[in-house]
Amino acid sequence: MMEIRESILPGIGMKYQMDTASGDRIVIVIHDDGRRELYHFSREDDDQSHLIATLEDQEARQFAALVGGMVYKPKQLESVEMAFDDLTIEWYRIEAHFGCVGKTIGELHIRQNSGASVIALIDKKKGKLINPGPDAVLGADATVVAVGEREQQKRFKQILMNGSG
Amino acid sequence: MIFEIGLALGLIALGGLISAKLRFSVIPFYILIGMAVGPHATELWHFDFRFIDSAPFIDFMGRIGVLFLLFYLGLEFSVGRLVKSGKSIVVGGSIYIGINFTLGLLLGFLGGFPVAEALVIAGITTISSSAIVAKVLVDLKRTANPETEMILGITMFEDIFLAVYISILSGFVLSDSNSLGGVLLSALVSLGFMLAIIILGRKAVPLLNKWLRIRSNELFGLVIFGALFLIAGFSETIHVAEAIGALLVGLVLAETEHAKRIEHLIMPFRDFFGAVFFFSFGLSIDPMSLGGNAVWLALAAVVITFAGNFSAGMLAGRTANLSPKASANIGLTILSRGEFSIILANLGKDGGLMDILQPFSAIYVLILAILGPILTKQSPHVYAFMNRLFKFKDRRVPKEEAL
Repeated sequence: MMEIRESILPGIGMKYQMDTASGDRIVIVIHDDGRRELYHFSREDDDQSHLIATLEDQEARQFAALVGGMVYKPKQLESVEMAFDDLTIEWYRIEAHFGCVGKTIGELHIRQNSGASVIALIDKKKGKLINPGPDAVLGADATVVAVGEREQQKRFKQILMNGSG
Repeated sequence: MIFEIGLALGLIALGGLISAKLRFSVIPFYILIGMAVGPHATELWHFDFRFIDSAPFIDFMGRIGVLFLLFYLGLEFSVGRLVKSGKSIVVGGSIYIGINFTLGLLLGFLGGFPVAEALVIAGITTISSSAIVAKVLVDLKRTANPETEMILGITMFEDIFLAVYISILSGFVLSDSNSLGGVLLSALVSLGFMLAIIILGRKAVPLLNKWLRIRSNELFGLVIFGALFLIAGFSETIHVAEAIGALLVGLVLAETEHAKRIEHLIMPFRDFFGAVFFFSFGLSIDPMSLGGNAVWLALAAVVITFAGNFSAGMLAGRTANLSPKASANIGLTILSRGEFSIILANLGKDGGLMDILQPFSAIYVLILAILGPILTKQSPHVYAFMNRLFKFKDRRVPKEEAL
């Protein structure tokens, strides 16, 4: 998981620094007056940042929506996240080696053990299943959609991979 | 009278406009404009640039400006933030204060000043202008740099130092008594008053939260202003500088849930009355009287401030594991002086200290408020130059080891 360093700039606003997997260092500064600034550090000199863009509040929101894939979702994405307050909806693709393959939702005690709730099951063979019951089987290559808080989602993913709570 | 005030405000606005055109900090321009006019100036047609009738009133508006400046300083400040900012900032801030305060005191004593004057001089040369520093960082697009947290941390640290220092110093300078015991007593009274307000204020936060839930902006403003002026005025009656009273009100209100709303309310007043304060400070200085000792003292102070800030920046940067180049940016950015130096000089005036303090601080602030941002902008060149002189080594721990 990418690490995001957050720090307060007193009198200016907030600063978020992320080092991406591709080796880029990006800094987002959110000014108290609503402006956002995007900075990039050159790879040779990690002391000097370069301003990429300054965005007004409205522009920043649109930019975030674009980057966040709300307008156009990349097809390759395995797990897409949408956030409502604390609740998130996530898509999980069940790989053949996952421990849960072949088991039913009821057997795994998903809701009791993770707190998350499965709201859809998409299986290539059996098609879409909205709000599947406890007897629905999780097959390899299927996609499950679950709703829950971040912690619950994490536990849910554990259950899928290990095949038990 | 109104016409004279109008003329003064017009001049202040003009100074502001000129500084905006030249892209400099506004503070030196307000002071310069104030110095340009005054009793030594002439009357042109209907325009009386001597400001004889209105001087007391302008002075009073400036006094209110100090209250707002310190009230805002208190509001912005929070202990939680400092604790969260981490050890390296506390270390860096202590290094900075240690070096620069000692140098300031040395300058005062070597200049042959009595203790009170030396303490004021040390204060003037130690405290950076947080307003100029933050503005320069934003203007130069350096907010994302690795050294920025350290720079802002040090200025925050300086602000706390200033709060404590002003309260002790005002007890020292404003006390009526001449004996050491009397002076200590008044310094204790002012510290005790400060602690009492802070402790009471902390306890009263839930109550204040409830009381301040006032929907009408007009009433909300009146309540805040009333509290500010009442407490500041009351402090004055027990020989605690009114500025401290204002600072304390700010500190207490900073802990309430209404802090942001108060900030928004106060900001225009702070800017307006603050500008008048710098103008009135300039007005109180006769440019013809400048020269001689004040100039030499100010130049000496500029030199030691540069040396002190640069070396403190290099040391603080090293403790925070920053490269020499980033560390050089720290010292060169916190070089700017402004509002707080003037407030301290003003405190000296209120306490009836030697007259030289004012022209000294005016020249000193004028130089560093203009030179500071320029050096900040040119920091890569300054660093290259200093590097040739001193050959800084990059003593950062390599990243792999740090992990």
